[in-house]
Amino acid sequence: MRVVVVGAGLAGLTAADELTAAGADTVVLEARDRVGGRVHGLEVAPGSWVDAGAAYLGDKHTMLAAALAESDLKTTPTAMVGASRFDLGSLSTRPGRFPPLSAVALGELFDALDEVTSSVRPHAPWLSPDAEARDARSAADWAAEHLRHPDARLFFPLFLGEMMAADPAAISVLHMAFYLRSGGGTGYLNAFEGGAQQDRVDGGSHQLAVALAARLGDRVRLSQPVRAIHQDHRGALVHTAAGTYPADAVVVAVPPLLADEIEYRPGLPVGRAGPGTGRGCAIKVHLVYPAPLWRDAGLSGWSLSSAGPMQSTVDDSPPGVGVLTGFVTGAEALRFSALTAAEQRASVRAQVSGLFPDLPPPTAIHVTDWVAEPYSRGCYAALFGPGDWLQRGPTLTTAHLRVHWAGTETSTEFFGLMEGAIRSGHRVASEIRARY
Amino acid sequence: MTVDAVLAIFRRVLPSSDLDVDSDFFTVGGDSLLATRVLSAVARECGVELTFEEFLLAPTPAALAVTIATTVGNGALR
Repeated sequence: MRVVVVGAGLAGLTAADELTAAGADTVVLEARDRVGGRVHGLEVAPGSWVDAGAAYLGDKHTMLAAALAESDLKTTPTAMVGASRFDLGSLSTRPGRFPPLSAVALGELFDALDEVTSSVRPHAPWLSPDAEARDARSAADWAAEHLRHPDARLFFPLFLGEMMAADPAAISVLHMAFYLRSGGGTGYLNAFEGGAQQDRVDGGSHQLAVALAARLGDRVRLSQPVRAIHQDHRGALVHTAAGTYPADAVVVAVPPLLADEIEYRPGLPVGRAGPGTGRGCAIKVHLVYPAPLWRDAGLSGWSLSSAGPMQSTVDDSPPGVGVLTGFVTGAEALRFSALTAAEQRASVRAQVSGLFPDLPPPTAIHVTDWVAEPYSRGCYAALFGPGDWLQRGPTLTTAHLRVHWAGTETSTEFFGLMEGAIRSGHRVASEIRARY
Repeated sequence: MTVDAVLAIFRRVLPSSDLDVDSDFFTVGGDSLLATRVLSAVARECGVELTFEEFLLAPTPAALAVTIATTVGNGALR
Protein backbone atom coordinates (compact mmCIF):
# COMPACT_ATOMS: atom_id res chain seq x y z
CA MET A 1 0.00 0.00 0.00
CA ARG A 2 1.31 3.42 -0.97
CA VAL A 3 0.39 6.30 1.37
CA VAL A 4 1.22 9.95 0.77
CA VAL A 5 1.03 12.16 3.85
CA VAL A 6 0.68 15.90 3.28
CA GLY A 7 2.24 17.87 6.12
CA ALA A 8 5.07 16.92 8.50
CA GLY A 9 3.57 18.31 11.70
CA LEU A 10 2.91 16.02 14.65
CA ALA A 11 -0.30 14.67 13.08
CA GLY A 12 1.26 13.75 9.73
CA LEU A 13 4.45 12.36 11.26
CA THR A 14 2.49 10.26 13.76
CA ALA A 15 0.32 8.82 10.99
CA ALA A 16 3.33 8.16 8.74
CA ASP A 17 5.26 6.52 11.57
CA GLU A 18 2.39 4.18 12.45
CA LEU A 19 1.60 3.32 8.82
CA THR A 20 5.26 2.71 7.98
CA ALA A 21 5.58 0.39 10.96
CA ALA A 22 2.51 -1.46 9.67
CA GLY A 23 4.27 -2.05 6.34
CA ALA A 24 2.94 0.79 4.17
CA ASP A 25 5.13 2.44 1.57
CA THR A 26 5.01 5.99 2.91
CA VAL A 27 6.05 9.42 1.66
CA VAL A 28 5.59 12.62 3.69
CA LEU A 29 5.43 15.84 1.67
CA GLU A 30 6.23 18.96 3.68
CA ALA A 31 5.94 22.52 2.32
CA ARG A 32 8.54 24.04 4.63
CA ASP A 33 12.25 23.32 4.77
CA ARG A 34 11.78 21.86 8.25
CA VAL A 35 9.47 19.40 9.99
CA GLY A 36 7.20 20.14 12.96
CA GLY A 37 4.66 22.61 11.60
CA ARG A 38 3.30 24.56 14.54
CA VAL A 39 5.85 22.81 16.75
CA HIS A 40 9.10 24.68 16.28
CA GLY A 41 12.25 25.21 18.32
CA LEU A 42 14.32 28.34 18.69
CA GLU A 43 17.90 28.25 19.97
CA VAL A 44 18.18 31.40 22.11
CA ALA A 45 21.67 30.65 23.42
CA PRO A 46 24.11 27.88 22.48
CA GLY A 47 22.34 24.64 23.47
CA SER A 48 19.37 26.47 25.05
CA TRP A 49 16.10 25.97 23.17
CA VAL A 50 12.66 27.47 23.63
CA ASP A 51 9.37 26.59 22.01
CA ALA A 52 8.42 29.10 19.34
CA GLY A 53 5.16 27.20 18.84
CA ALA A 54 3.30 24.59 20.88
CA ALA A 55 4.98 24.19 24.23
CA TYR A 56 2.93 22.90 27.15
CA LEU A 57 1.47 19.61 28.23
CA GLY A 58 -0.24 18.03 31.22
CA ASP A 59 -1.11 14.62 32.66
CA LYS A 60 -4.19 14.20 30.47
CA HIS A 61 -2.02 14.34 27.33
CA THR A 62 -1.44 10.62 27.39
CA MET A 63 -0.68 10.00 23.71
CA LEU A 64 1.85 12.82 23.68
CA ALA A 65 3.44 11.39 26.82
CA ALA A 66 3.67 7.97 25.13
CA ALA A 67 5.23 9.48 22.00
CA LEU A 68 7.78 11.41 24.09
CA ALA A 69 8.69 8.28 26.04
CA GLU A 70 9.14 6.33 22.82
CA SER A 71 11.64 8.94 21.63
CA ASP A 72 13.41 9.12 25.01
CA LEU A 73 12.33 12.71 25.58
CA LYS A 74 11.77 14.05 29.09
CA THR A 75 9.51 16.79 30.41
CA THR A 76 10.31 19.60 32.80
CA PRO A 77 7.85 21.49 35.02
CA THR A 78 6.83 25.01 34.04
CA ALA A 79 8.26 27.34 36.71
CA MET A 80 5.52 29.30 38.49
CA VAL A 81 6.79 30.33 41.91
CA GLY A 82 6.52 33.85 43.25
CA ALA A 83 4.48 36.96 42.72
CA SER A 84 2.78 38.10 39.53
CA ARG A 85 2.62 41.48 37.85
CA PHE A 86 -0.66 42.90 36.62
CA ASP A 87 -1.43 45.81 34.33
CA LEU A 88 -5.23 45.90 34.26
CA GLY A 89 -5.77 49.64 34.19
CA SER A 90 -3.07 50.15 36.84
CA LEU A 91 0.11 48.28 37.72
CA SER A 92 0.25 45.97 40.73
CA THR A 93 2.20 43.06 42.19
CA ARG A 94 0.32 40.22 43.86
CA PRO A 95 1.16 36.79 45.22
CA GLY A 96 0.02 33.94 42.96
CA ARG A 97 -1.76 34.35 39.65
CA PHE A 98 -5.10 35.74 40.83
CA PRO A 99 -5.73 39.08 39.13
CA PRO A 100 -6.77 42.22 41.04
CA LEU A 101 -10.35 41.90 39.83
CA SER A 102 -13.64 41.06 41.54
CA ALA A 103 -13.58 37.34 42.38
CA VAL A 104 -17.38 37.32 42.31
CA ALA A 105 -17.38 38.79 38.77
CA LEU A 106 -14.89 36.16 37.60
CA GLY A 107 -16.98 33.49 39.31
CA GLU A 108 -20.01 34.67 37.34
CA LEU A 109 -17.94 34.42 34.14
CA PHE A 110 -16.85 30.87 34.95
CA ASP A 111 -20.41 29.92 35.98
CA ALA A 112 -21.63 31.14 32.58
CA LEU A 113 -18.81 29.31 30.76
CA ASP A 114 -19.56 26.15 32.73
CA GLU A 115 -23.18 26.29 31.64
CA VAL A 116 -22.27 26.23 27.93
CA THR A 117 -19.30 23.84 28.20
CA SER A 118 -21.07 21.23 30.32
CA SER A 119 -23.95 20.91 27.85
CA VAL A 120 -21.79 20.56 24.72
CA ARG A 121 -21.49 17.08 23.21
CA PRO A 122 -17.72 16.80 23.01
CA HIS A 123 -17.54 14.25 20.18
CA ALA A 124 -20.34 15.79 18.15
CA PRO A 125 -20.73 19.45 19.07
CA TRP A 126 -23.19 19.98 16.22
CA LEU A 127 -25.62 17.67 18.07
CA SER A 128 -25.41 19.63 21.34
CA PRO A 129 -28.56 21.11 22.83
CA ASP A 130 -29.18 24.52 21.32
CA ALA A 131 -26.40 23.87 18.76
CA GLU A 132 -27.97 25.97 15.99
CA ALA A 133 -28.27 29.09 18.11
CA ARG A 134 -24.83 28.65 19.68
CA ASP A 135 -23.21 28.00 16.31
CA ALA A 136 -24.79 31.10 14.80
CA ARG A 137 -23.72 33.43 17.58
CA SER A 138 -20.29 34.91 18.30
CA ALA A 139 -18.65 34.58 21.71
CA ALA A 140 -18.53 38.39 21.83
CA ASP A 141 -22.34 38.59 21.54
CA TRP A 142 -22.67 35.91 24.20
CA ALA A 143 -20.39 37.88 26.53
CA ALA A 144 -22.35 41.09 25.95
CA GLU A 145 -25.47 39.31 27.14
CA HIS A 146 -24.08 37.20 29.99
CA LEU A 147 -21.34 39.34 31.52
CA ARG A 148 -22.60 42.35 33.41
CA HIS A 149 -19.67 43.19 35.67
CA PRO A 150 -16.95 45.33 34.03
CA ASP A 151 -14.23 43.10 35.54
CA ALA A 152 -15.72 40.05 33.80
CA ARG A 153 -15.90 41.96 30.51
CA LEU A 154 -12.27 43.04 30.91
CA PHE A 155 -11.06 39.54 31.76
CA PHE A 156 -13.04 37.52 29.20
CA PRO A 157 -11.08 38.50 26.04
CA LEU A 158 -7.78 38.04 27.91
CA PHE A 159 -8.94 34.61 28.98
CA LEU A 160 -10.06 33.53 25.51
CA GLY A 161 -6.85 34.90 24.04
CA GLU A 162 -4.87 32.83 26.49
CA MET A 163 -6.93 29.64 26.12
CA MET A 164 -7.70 29.67 22.40
CA ALA A 165 -5.74 32.51 20.75
CA ALA A 166 -9.13 33.87 19.77
CA ASP A 167 -10.80 37.23 19.57
CA PRO A 168 -14.31 36.62 21.02
CA ALA A 169 -15.83 38.23 17.91
CA ALA A 170 -14.15 35.63 15.67
CA ILE A 171 -15.53 32.40 17.15
CA SER A 172 -18.95 30.93 17.73
CA VAL A 173 -20.25 30.22 21.23
CA LEU A 174 -20.41 26.56 20.20
CA HIS A 175 -16.72 26.56 19.27
CA MET A 176 -15.76 28.23 22.54
CA ALA A 177 -17.77 25.69 24.53
CA PHE A 178 -16.42 22.78 22.49
CA TYR A 179 -12.80 23.93 22.72
CA LEU A 180 -12.88 24.38 26.49
CA ARG A 181 -14.55 20.97 26.92
CA SER A 182 -12.28 19.23 24.42
CA GLY A 183 -9.18 20.42 26.24
CA GLY A 184 -10.25 18.84 29.53
CA GLY A 185 -12.45 21.63 30.90
CA THR A 186 -11.91 25.29 31.65
CA GLY A 187 -10.09 24.64 34.92
CA TYR A 188 -7.70 22.11 33.39
CA LEU A 189 -6.92 24.26 30.36
CA ASN A 190 -6.29 27.29 32.55
CA ALA A 191 -4.03 25.63 35.10
CA PHE A 192 -0.27 25.29 35.16
CA GLU A 193 0.33 22.79 38.00
CA GLY A 194 -2.22 19.99 37.61
CA GLY A 195 -3.34 21.41 34.27
CA ALA A 196 -2.52 21.72 30.60
CA GLN A 197 0.52 23.97 31.19
CA GLN A 198 2.11 21.79 33.87
CA ASP A 199 5.16 20.74 31.85
CA ARG A 200 7.27 21.51 28.81
CA VAL A 201 9.45 19.13 26.84
CA ASP A 202 12.97 19.38 28.19
CA GLY A 203 15.02 20.87 25.35
CA GLY A 204 11.95 21.78 23.28
CA SER A 205 8.89 20.03 21.87
CA HIS A 206 10.32 20.25 18.33
CA GLN A 207 12.58 17.33 19.26
CA LEU A 208 9.59 15.02 19.00
CA ALA A 209 8.97 16.01 15.38
CA VAL A 210 12.69 15.68 14.66
CA ALA A 211 12.78 12.22 16.23
CA LEU A 212 9.73 11.00 14.31
CA ALA A 213 11.18 12.40 11.07
CA ALA A 214 14.51 10.70 11.77
CA ARG A 215 12.73 7.35 12.04
CA LEU A 216 11.04 8.02 8.69
CA GLY A 217 14.36 9.00 7.07
CA ASP A 218 14.22 9.86 3.38
CA ARG A 219 10.47 9.20 3.28
CA VAL A 220 10.13 12.82 4.45
CA ARG A 221 10.52 15.26 1.55
CA LEU A 222 10.97 18.92 2.53
CA SER A 223 10.13 22.04 0.48
CA GLN A 224 7.40 20.17 -1.41
CA PRO A 225 4.16 22.15 -1.12
CA VAL A 226 1.30 20.06 -2.46
CA ARG A 227 -0.67 21.83 -5.20
CA ALA A 228 -3.27 19.26 -6.24
CA ILE A 229 -4.71 15.86 -5.40
CA HIS A 230 -6.41 14.11 -8.29
CA GLN A 231 -8.34 10.86 -7.91
CA ASP A 232 -9.90 8.38 -10.28
CA HIS A 233 -10.85 4.70 -10.14
CA ARG A 234 -7.16 3.67 -10.20
CA GLY A 235 -6.05 5.71 -7.22
CA ALA A 236 -4.79 9.14 -6.25
CA LEU A 237 -2.07 11.35 -7.67
CA VAL A 238 -0.52 13.97 -5.39
CA HIS A 239 1.09 16.84 -7.30
CA THR A 240 3.85 19.16 -6.12
CA ALA A 241 5.89 21.59 -8.22
CA ALA A 242 8.68 18.98 -8.31
CA GLY A 243 6.76 15.84 -9.10
CA THR A 244 3.78 13.55 -8.87
CA TYR A 245 3.29 10.88 -6.22
CA PRO A 246 0.84 8.04 -6.83
CA ALA A 247 -1.01 6.77 -3.78
CA ASP A 248 -3.61 4.26 -2.66
CA ALA A 249 -4.43 6.57 0.24
CA VAL A 250 -3.61 10.19 1.03
CA VAL A 251 -3.51 11.81 4.47
CA VAL A 252 -3.98 15.57 4.43
CA ALA A 253 -2.56 16.66 7.79
CA VAL A 254 -2.50 20.44 7.43
CA PRO A 255 -4.74 23.12 9.02
CA PRO A 256 -8.16 23.61 7.37
CA LEU A 257 -7.30 26.95 5.76
CA LEU A 258 -4.29 25.33 4.06
CA ALA A 259 -6.14 22.13 3.14
CA ASP A 260 -8.52 24.29 1.12
CA GLU A 261 -5.62 25.73 -0.89
CA ILE A 262 -5.03 22.33 -2.48
CA GLU A 263 -6.89 21.66 -5.72
CA TYR A 264 -8.99 18.49 -5.41
CA ARG A 265 -10.38 16.60 -8.40
CA PRO A 266 -13.10 15.62 -7.91
CA GLY A 267 -13.74 18.57 -5.64
CA LEU A 268 -14.65 18.39 -1.97
CA PRO A 269 -18.35 18.22 -1.16
CA VAL A 270 -17.77 20.50 1.84
CA GLY A 271 -14.79 22.83 2.14
CA ARG A 272 -12.41 22.28 5.04
CA ALA A 273 -12.84 25.95 5.94
CA GLY A 274 -15.47 28.56 5.21
CA PRO A 275 -15.79 32.32 5.14
CA GLY A 276 -16.13 32.36 8.93
CA THR A 277 -13.09 30.17 9.64
CA GLY A 278 -10.26 32.23 11.08
CA ARG A 279 -6.58 31.96 11.81
CA GLY A 280 -5.65 31.26 15.39
CA CYS A 281 -4.28 34.60 16.51
CA ALA A 282 -1.08 33.91 18.42
CA ILE A 283 2.30 35.57 18.24
CA LYS A 284 5.00 34.42 20.62
CA VAL A 285 7.67 36.81 21.84
CA HIS A 286 10.77 35.50 23.56
CA LEU A 287 12.65 37.98 25.72
CA VAL A 288 16.13 36.73 26.52
CA TYR A 289 18.08 37.66 29.68
CA PRO A 290 21.42 36.50 31.06
CA ALA A 291 19.49 34.58 33.77
CA PRO A 292 15.92 34.45 35.19
CA LEU A 293 16.63 37.69 37.06
CA TRP A 294 12.97 38.26 38.07
CA ARG A 295 13.22 35.28 40.43
CA ASP A 296 15.70 37.23 42.59
CA ALA A 297 12.97 39.81 43.16
CA GLY A 298 10.45 37.12 44.18
CA LEU A 299 8.59 37.35 40.88
CA SER A 300 7.40 34.33 38.90
CA GLY A 301 7.69 36.08 35.56
CA TRP A 302 3.94 35.70 35.09
CA SER A 303 2.17 38.89 34.11
CA LEU A 304 -1.25 39.75 32.76
CA SER A 305 -1.94 42.99 30.87
CA SER A 306 -5.00 44.48 29.29
CA ALA A 307 -2.88 47.11 27.56
CA GLY A 308 -0.82 44.85 25.31
CA PRO A 309 0.81 44.06 23.08
CA MET A 310 1.66 41.05 25.29
CA GLN A 311 -1.37 39.83 27.24
CA SER A 312 0.74 37.62 29.40
CA THR A 313 4.31 36.61 30.08
CA VAL A 314 5.55 33.37 31.55
CA ASP A 315 8.95 32.11 32.68
CA ASP A 316 10.05 29.55 30.08
CA SER A 317 13.75 29.67 30.95
CA PRO A 318 15.78 26.71 29.75
CA PRO A 319 18.90 25.91 31.79
CA GLY A 320 21.62 28.55 31.55
CA VAL A 321 19.60 31.54 30.39
CA GLY A 322 16.52 33.58 31.34
CA VAL A 323 13.56 33.62 28.98
CA LEU A 324 10.22 35.33 29.38
CA THR A 325 7.70 34.16 26.81
CA GLY A 326 5.18 36.82 25.89
CA PHE A 327 1.85 35.94 24.30
CA VAL A 328 0.25 38.37 21.87
CA THR A 329 -3.17 36.91 21.11
CA GLY A 330 -6.63 37.62 19.75
CA ALA A 331 -7.38 40.94 18.08
CA GLU A 332 -4.12 42.37 19.45
CA ALA A 333 -2.16 39.78 17.43
CA LEU A 334 -3.60 41.12 14.18
CA ARG A 335 -2.60 44.68 15.11
CA PHE A 336 0.88 43.55 16.21
CA SER A 337 1.36 41.46 13.08
CA ALA A 338 0.78 44.58 10.97
CA LEU A 339 3.71 46.44 12.62
CA THR A 340 7.25 46.52 11.25
CA ALA A 341 9.83 44.39 13.07
CA ALA A 342 11.35 47.54 14.60
CA GLU A 343 7.95 48.75 15.83
CA GLN A 344 7.19 45.32 17.30
CA ARG A 345 10.45 45.29 19.25
CA ALA A 346 10.00 48.86 20.45
CA SER A 347 6.48 48.21 21.75
CA VAL A 348 7.54 44.99 23.48
CA ARG A 349 10.54 46.72 25.07
CA ALA A 350 8.35 49.58 26.30
CA GLN A 351 5.79 47.20 27.78
CA VAL A 352 8.29 44.98 29.56
CA SER A 353 10.14 47.94 31.07
CA GLY A 354 6.82 49.00 32.63
CA LEU A 355 5.92 45.49 33.81
CA PHE A 356 9.37 44.62 35.13
CA PRO A 357 11.12 47.95 35.78
CA ASP A 358 13.99 46.30 37.68
CA LEU A 359 15.04 44.10 34.79
CA PRO A 360 17.79 45.22 32.43
CA PRO A 361 16.80 45.45 28.78
CA PRO A 362 16.54 41.99 27.20
CA THR A 363 19.66 40.87 25.36
CA ALA A 364 17.50 39.62 22.49
CA ILE A 365 13.87 39.68 21.41
CA HIS A 366 12.53 36.95 19.13
CA VAL A 367 9.12 37.36 17.55
CA THR A 368 7.38 34.32 16.05
CA ASP A 369 4.35 35.53 14.13
CA TRP A 370 2.11 32.51 13.48
CA VAL A 371 -0.63 34.70 12.05
CA ALA A 372 1.65 35.58 9.12
CA GLU A 373 3.11 32.07 8.63
CA PRO A 374 2.04 31.03 5.13
CA TYR A 375 2.30 27.33 5.92
CA SER A 376 0.38 27.48 9.20
CA ARG A 377 -2.05 30.38 8.81
CA GLY A 378 -2.46 30.84 12.50
CA CYS A 379 -1.80 29.12 15.78
CA TYR A 380 -2.77 27.51 18.16
CA ALA A 381 -5.44 26.24 15.77
CA ALA A 382 -8.02 27.33 13.22
CA LEU A 383 -10.88 29.29 14.77
CA PHE A 384 -14.32 27.96 13.93
CA GLY A 385 -16.53 30.98 13.42
CA PRO A 386 -20.30 31.23 13.30
CA GLY A 387 -21.70 28.53 11.01
CA ASP A 388 -18.59 26.35 10.91
CA TRP A 389 -19.47 23.56 13.32
CA LEU A 390 -22.91 22.86 11.90
CA GLN A 391 -21.69 22.97 8.32
CA ARG A 392 -18.31 21.25 8.64
CA GLY A 393 -18.44 19.33 11.91
CA PRO A 394 -20.31 16.26 10.66
CA THR A 395 -17.70 15.61 7.91
CA LEU A 396 -14.59 16.67 9.84
CA THR A 397 -13.09 13.18 9.60
CA THR A 398 -15.05 11.84 6.60
CA ALA A 399 -12.69 10.65 3.87
CA HIS A 400 -13.11 12.16 0.40
CA LEU A 401 -12.68 8.94 -1.61
CA ARG A 402 -9.01 8.10 -0.86
CA VAL A 403 -8.20 11.39 0.87
CA HIS A 404 -8.24 11.14 4.67
CA TRP A 405 -7.98 13.99 7.14
CA ALA A 406 -5.73 14.54 10.13
CA GLY A 407 -4.46 17.48 12.14
CA THR A 408 -5.37 18.81 15.56
CA GLU A 409 -8.49 20.44 14.07
CA THR A 410 -9.88 16.99 13.24
CA SER A 411 -9.57 15.75 16.82
CA THR A 412 -12.55 16.30 19.06
CA GLU A 413 -10.24 15.38 21.95
CA PHE A 414 -7.69 18.08 22.82
CA PHE A 415 -8.50 20.10 19.71
CA GLY A 416 -5.83 22.71 19.09
CA LEU A 417 -3.18 21.00 21.20
CA MET A 418 -0.24 18.70 20.41
CA GLU A 419 -2.23 15.90 22.04
CA GLY A 420 -5.07 16.43 19.55
CA ALA A 421 -2.63 16.33 16.63
CA ILE A 422 -1.14 13.04 17.78
CA ARG A 423 -4.54 11.49 18.45
CA SER A 424 -5.66 12.50 14.96
CA GLY A 425 -2.54 10.86 13.50
CA HIS A 426 -3.32 7.56 15.21
CA ARG A 427 -7.01 7.80 14.27
CA VAL A 428 -6.26 8.34 10.58
CA ALA A 429 -3.66 5.54 10.56
CA SER A 430 -6.24 3.11 12.00
CA GLU A 431 -8.78 4.30 9.45
CA ILE A 432 -6.40 3.58 6.58
CA ARG A 433 -5.19 0.25 7.96
CA ALA A 434 -8.78 -0.91 8.29
CA ARG A 435 -9.76 0.11 4.77
CA TYR A 436 -6.88 -0.73 2.42
CA MET B 1 -25.57 31.97 55.70
CA THR B 2 -25.28 28.64 57.59
CA VAL B 3 -22.20 26.43 57.61
CA ASP B 4 -24.29 23.73 55.94
CA ALA B 5 -25.25 26.10 53.14
CA VAL B 6 -21.57 26.93 52.54
CA LEU B 7 -20.70 23.24 52.66
CA ALA B 8 -23.38 22.61 50.04
CA ILE B 9 -21.69 25.18 47.77
CA PHE B 10 -18.31 23.48 48.26
CA ARG B 11 -19.90 20.16 47.32
CA ARG B 12 -21.42 21.63 44.15
CA VAL B 13 -18.15 23.23 43.03
CA LEU B 14 -15.64 20.54 43.95
CA PRO B 15 -15.43 17.18 42.24
CA SER B 16 -14.41 15.54 45.53
CA SER B 17 -17.37 14.33 47.59
CA ASP B 18 -15.49 13.64 50.82
CA LEU B 19 -15.96 17.05 52.43
CA ASP B 20 -16.90 18.32 55.86
CA VAL B 21 -17.18 21.72 57.51
CA ASP B 22 -13.44 21.78 58.24
CA SER B 23 -12.22 20.78 54.77
CA ASP B 24 -9.69 23.25 53.36
CA PHE B 25 -10.88 24.13 49.86
CA PHE B 26 -7.36 24.31 48.46
CA THR B 27 -6.26 20.92 49.78
CA VAL B 28 -9.32 18.99 48.54
CA GLY B 29 -9.05 19.82 44.84
CA GLY B 30 -9.99 23.49 44.85
CA ASP B 31 -8.02 26.05 42.86
CA SER B 32 -8.36 29.77 42.28
CA LEU B 33 -10.75 29.36 39.35
CA LEU B 34 -13.10 27.12 41.36
CA ALA B 35 -12.76 29.53 44.29
CA THR B 36 -14.36 32.27 42.21
CA ARG B 37 -17.34 29.99 41.68
CA VAL B 38 -17.75 29.53 45.44
CA LEU B 39 -17.69 33.31 45.84
CA SER B 40 -20.20 33.92 43.03
CA ALA B 41 -22.51 31.33 44.63
CA VAL B 42 -22.15 33.00 48.05
CA ALA B 43 -22.95 36.37 46.45
CA ARG B 44 -25.97 34.92 44.68
CA GLU B 45 -27.34 33.19 47.76
CA CYS B 46 -26.80 35.86 50.42
CA GLY B 47 -25.67 39.02 48.67
CA VAL B 48 -22.21 39.10 50.29
CA GLU B 49 -19.36 39.76 47.85
CA LEU B 50 -16.11 38.48 49.31
CA THR B 51 -12.65 38.96 47.82
CA PHE B 52 -10.30 36.18 46.81
CA GLU B 53 -7.99 37.15 49.70
CA GLU B 54 -10.84 36.85 52.21
CA PHE B 55 -11.46 33.31 50.95
CA LEU B 56 -7.76 32.46 51.21
CA LEU B 57 -7.90 33.45 54.89
CA ALA B 58 -11.08 31.39 55.51
CA PRO B 59 -10.88 28.41 53.16
CA THR B 60 -13.17 25.99 55.07
CA PRO B 61 -16.98 26.01 55.14
CA ALA B 62 -16.90 26.74 58.90
CA ALA B 63 -14.46 29.64 58.58
CA LEU B 64 -16.11 31.06 55.48
CA ALA B 65 -19.51 31.06 57.21
CA VAL B 66 -17.94 33.13 60.02
CA THR B 67 -16.46 35.58 57.50
CA ILE B 68 -19.83 35.92 55.81
CA ALA B 69 -21.59 36.49 59.14
CA THR B 70 -18.99 39.08 60.17
CA THR B 71 -19.33 40.89 56.85
CA VAL B 72 -23.12 40.95 57.21
CA GLY B 73 -22.80 42.03 60.87
CA ASN B 74 -20.51 44.90 59.89
CA GLY B 75 -23.16 46.12 57.51
CA ALA B 76 -20.66 45.60 54.76
CA LEU B 77 -23.14 44.30 52.21
CA ARG B 78 -21.64 45.34 48.94
